[in-house]
Amino acid sequence: MRNQRSVKQEFLRKWITGLRRYSCDEKKNMSFLERKKAIKLSADIAMASTRDKTTRWSQALIANASSSGDTLTGSSKNNSSRSRKKMLMMRRRRPKVKSAKKEMSASCIAKRLVQKRTRKLKNLLPGGESIDEGCLVEETLDYIESLRAQIEVMRYLVTASQLIINPYP
Amino acid sequence: MEQATGVLRGSTHDDVVLESIQFNEEIRGIMAPAPAPENASSFTALLELPPTQAVELLHSPDCPAAAREPPCHVSTNQKPYLLCSYGGNLTFPSNAALIERAAKFSVFAGENSPPEDVARLAPVAVSGVVKNEPQETDSNPSSTQGCVSDPAVDTKNQKTAKRKEREKKGKGSSKKSKSVADECSGDGEKLPYVHVRVRRGQATDSHSLAERARREKINARMKLLQELVPGCNKISGTALVLDEIINHVQSLQRQVEFLSMKLAAVNPRIDFSLDSLLATDGSSVMDSNLTSMASPVMWPENLANGNRQHFQQQWQFDAFHQPLWGREEANHNFMTPEHSLLSYDSSANSASLQSNQLKMEL
Repeated sequence: MRNQRSVKQEFLRKWITGLRRYSCDEKKNMSFLERKKAIKLSADIAMASTRDKTTRWSQALIANASSSGDTLTGSSKNNSSRSRKKMLMMRRRRPKVKSAKKEMSASCIAKRLVQKRTRKLKNLLPGGESIDEGCLVEETLDYIESLRAQIEVMRYLVTASQLIINPYP
Repeated sequence: MEQATGVLRGSTHDDVVLESIQFNEEIRGIMAPAPAPENASSFTALLELPPTQAVELLHSPDCPAAAREPPCHVSTNQKPYLLCSYGGNLTFPSNAALIERAAKFSVFAGENSPPEDVARLAPVAVSGVVKNEPQETDSNPSSTQGCVSDPAVDTKNQKTAKRKEREKKGKGSSKKSKSVADECSGDGEKLPYVHVRVRRGQATDSHSLAERARREKINARMKLLQELVPGCNKISGTALVLDEIINHVQSLQRQVEFLSMKLAAVNPRIDFSLDSLLATDGSSVMDSNLTSMASPVMWPENLANGNRQHFQQQWQFDAFHQPLWGREEANHNFMTPEHSLLSYDSSANSASLQSNQLKMEL
């Protein structure tokens, strides 16, 4: 798998850059929720950019962020729109199969359960609706790893800033 | 005799019987001194030799026999794969004892585990079918069994065939030799067939093969996922495993949300980390370092140091190391990611480079 250390370093670096950009752009004080959203968004984008567009979820994440008019993703807008168009086209190409029959065999039930969960997983993953099942598992693997790294870095940042503010608990 | 040679050829000539008999006799002559396990009077014993040796033996006879080799794609580098299919013009072996011996050889080969391909070939060869026309699907054990139950053949054939099936299943090698077929064809020998080895009862057309390959790939990745997600190892069944995975992903996403909320709550400004960390005085943070959650604070301290004293980096980092390392043995797992964040090895230069890089980026 990827080198966890380098990933975390890269993530932290990009995240701090993104946060900086936020503070430079908007001098006014943001509300708590705004701040939280900004933090989360910059963190997500930073995490996605560490993948360097090699995975679909990262592309989708950046695309979604850029479509919502975020200032952080300025340069990557073109790429992301192209990838988004591709994803939309993929979605259109794949036909939706609706099974009308109601078989009650065990294998059928099992298959339906699995399909339900696969759909749920696809909804969880950013940009996961238009992924075929073969890539879905790969993307999930990658996404889980990235999320873990992101959480670790964020946690350390939280404890660090907490300790700075209250050095003597 | 005919059976063995028919297996050897795999081409579509009808008048091959006489030549095959001749060829077989030649082979027998060569095989007599061969180091096969038993008195090798059948072609299958040939298969138990290492591939190169088998190739030598096969290629040493005269042209009419050798000319028929290419369809069998016996190349020095490649493992000899044989086709197995059914046809109408078969002449089934009348010598049941020969078949039994061949079966024994194949079983023996399986036990000895000679070059794997040879061992795998043995059961195929001995099942005793001749390919009449080029066909896409082949080596279907059920079809061979159907052939074997030809009325001309006695029960012994069926028994050996069944033994073959058992052995095949026992080996559990459901290996698809599709890729090998590809590389065989890439070898320059024109192969009209796709050589596939399938488990009993499984179809062999290209669609199902592709399906199976895809399914196997997905299953392998699912296993990886199972290892990654804690607590999934003991669960069996795709739906439950997927449930666990979904729960895990959801919990991770919720954690991210919660942590970002916490970060927003802890600091009034958004660029909290940088300014506060850079402005931190060394001493106050040093004291807190000695308490429990000290390790993460080393990181801001290092940042500050990196900013101010570029040349005294090494000295300062070393001084840092001494008091802290002794105390933070317990928080070792906390240390490493923190250190990793700044590539905080004994080489302080890299750490200073890192922090400077951070500064320059910002």
